[in-house]
Amino acid sequence: MSEKRVYRWTATAVVLLVVSSLVAACGRESGGGGASSSEGKKTLRVALIGPQSGQLASLGDWDYKGVTLAANEINDKGGAGGLKIEITRMDDQGDPTTGGNLARKAVSQKFDVVFGSSSSTISLAMLPILTGAKIPQVTSGQADALTQQKSQYIFLDSPTSTTYDATLAEYVVGKLGKKKIAMITNNGAYGAGEHDAFLAQLKKRGVKPVADKVIPPDQKEMSGPLSQIRTAKPDALFIGAEEVQSGLIAKQARSLGIDATIVEGAPAGTPQYRETAGDEAAEGTIVSSPYLSNDLNEQTRAFAAAYKEAYGETAELHGAKAYDGLQLVAKAVASLDGKVSGEAIAQAMHDISYDGLLGHFDYNDVGVGLSQTHIGVIKNGEVEAVEDAG
Amino acid sequence: MDLREILQTGVGGLSIGAVYALVALGFSIVYRTIGLVNFGHGDVLMVGAFLMVTFFVNSHLAFPLALVIAVALTATMGFGFERVLRPLERKDLDLMLIGTIGFGIALEGAAVLIWGSEGQAMPTPINDTPINLAGVTVRSYDVLVLVLAAAVVVGLYLFLERAKAGTAMQAAAMDHEAATAMGIDVARCNGRAFAIGAGIAAVAGALVGPRLYVSAGMGAAVGVKGFAAAILGGFGNIPGAIVGGLALGLIEAYASGSRGSYSDVITFVVFTAVIMLRPSGLLGERTVSRP
Repeated sequence: MSEKRVYRWTATAVVLLVVSSLVAACGRESGGGGASSSEGKKTLRVALIGPQSGQLASLGDWDYKGVTLAANEINDKGGAGGLKIEITRMDDQGDPTTGGNLARKAVSQKFDVVFGSSSSTISLAMLPILTGAKIPQVTSGQADALTQQKSQYIFLDSPTSTTYDATLAEYVVGKLGKKKIAMITNNGAYGAGEHDAFLAQLKKRGVKPVADKVIPPDQKEMSGPLSQIRTAKPDALFIGAEEVQSGLIAKQARSLGIDATIVEGAPAGTPQYRETAGDEAAEGTIVSSPYLSNDLNEQTRAFAAAYKEAYGETAELHGAKAYDGLQLVAKAVASLDGKVSGEAIAQAMHDISYDGLLGHFDYNDVGVGLSQTHIGVIKNGEVEAVEDAG
Repeated sequence: MDLREILQTGVGGLSIGAVYALVALGFSIVYRTIGLVNFGHGDVLMVGAFLMVTFFVNSHLAFPLALVIAVALTATMGFGFERVLRPLERKDLDLMLIGTIGFGIALEGAAVLIWGSEGQAMPTPINDTPINLAGVTVRSYDVLVLVLAAAVVVGLYLFLERAKAGTAMQAAAMDHEAATAMGIDVARCNGRAFAIGAGIAAVAGALVGPRLYVSAGMGAAVGVKGFAAAILGGFGNIPGAIVGGLALGLIEAYASGSRGSYSDVITFVVFTAVIMLRPSGLLGERTVSRP
């Protein structure tokens, strides 16, 4: 191969890379209309930024379904304070850079509220941009890092990792009496948040993990760290990773002969986790979640029935979170008497309280509205609430 | 890390390394025959994995049968792709290279359209019970992966050394003008190389599917590791591809076992160091020089 040819190849490859990353950065967009005038306001324009493709696509899909279901219900009842809610869906492809670019796009197109993203890492990338532009951001992320930014414009639609893990540690250490606990977490924003929160909870109870392994978020083959966890002979294995990776960890742990009880936050409660791990490996996993089943009360049953009718699927945590999130926004907007601005909506979100599917929302200064989760266990492929979780 | 842990980590590394070796083989077989790096190779693997999902998971066919169908379909696709590229071969190899990149992107797009953007989990085809060998736990599925990968390597070796078509491919790889003069249909050899490369990629996709997660984007990650493995062993060198794949799998396993969050960084720093010391790879490159 001549030197000239090598240069040509390299140059072409570089040009292609640049072009493809530019195209990717623009993201994909669907639904909703273009920019509309904010004067004589008739619509509340909501940008839904989330992963619609890639490994996190299920999360983006659930968020979309929950938000759309809530929007349709609110619009059918005359809208949020008379404003029709209009959802524009944007695909961040599970990538923080794309998410940041889409947040800038939402700012330049003057959206009233942004939902996004389904991942803590991407939500963190979007946060300074949206806060700077005074646009309220409702996120499905739950990493404590989101609240540490002390923004008045971020609103978590679920409890933080600390809440999930406090409930989990209390049950696993306090109730089940497990002391030999191994941890495997990824170093994305969600995984890192889970790592720190669970470790702090263990420390509080005087427990030091027998193994503490951190992996990159895109790692799929975990036999290296799992082999070392196996040597430590734990009786509980804490996972802090997104759905698919959690499922793979559970599957690979079992195939390596690790029989410790698997304990985790919300991801383990999803169908995605059970499908990836396989029923056998997922069986017995202990889950900490604010939404264990659709059968909690009248409100959750009605939501699940409407969800089933709209999408032909069984509702789960993420759809419920997103549904609650938009209901909260609508309630805040309705309290404004038509004087709608990002600043006013954010202020109203802090002022109101709301009894949603996940519990009682009452936002504090840093965007946390919920502070309770429950313990469930996977039995025969379904999450069952543990009654005496305490 | 005690000895048992070292062995334990090594066993896991060998299994994923065997898959990297298969991917590297696919890169190498095309490169040595045509002198072309098929940048769409990772995506061919992804298609193979998705075909396995279709036949093995969704249609509930037996694993061996599903594998044969997936390999046959993927190989046919590889053969067809070479036909599309063939007019370019006599003109410009650079254009062919761009063609392979475009082919990969097109495959990814098609996979999203056919199988969706979310991806799908694939269960292990055999009961994945751990086998205990003197304190080292071996996953039964890893044994299957190693056996099948070894079978592919032996099969490829026998084909290249013993079969007439294989010898013709070797001849075309060494000197395609002389081969043409001897009456060998070089274009057909190229088509075969693409088909074999794609078939091996399908086997790799089928084997790695249950370990990883089958999604439209999986080709990029596994493809890059396989490409690195091929370079590590010596690009275009068949034994080199195997050595490179296993070495990369082991480096990755130990890096991920000891310094988990830095595993990719460590793996590629080691890779770069080896390449700086031995630019033509561990076993040396068999260069293909085409005008």
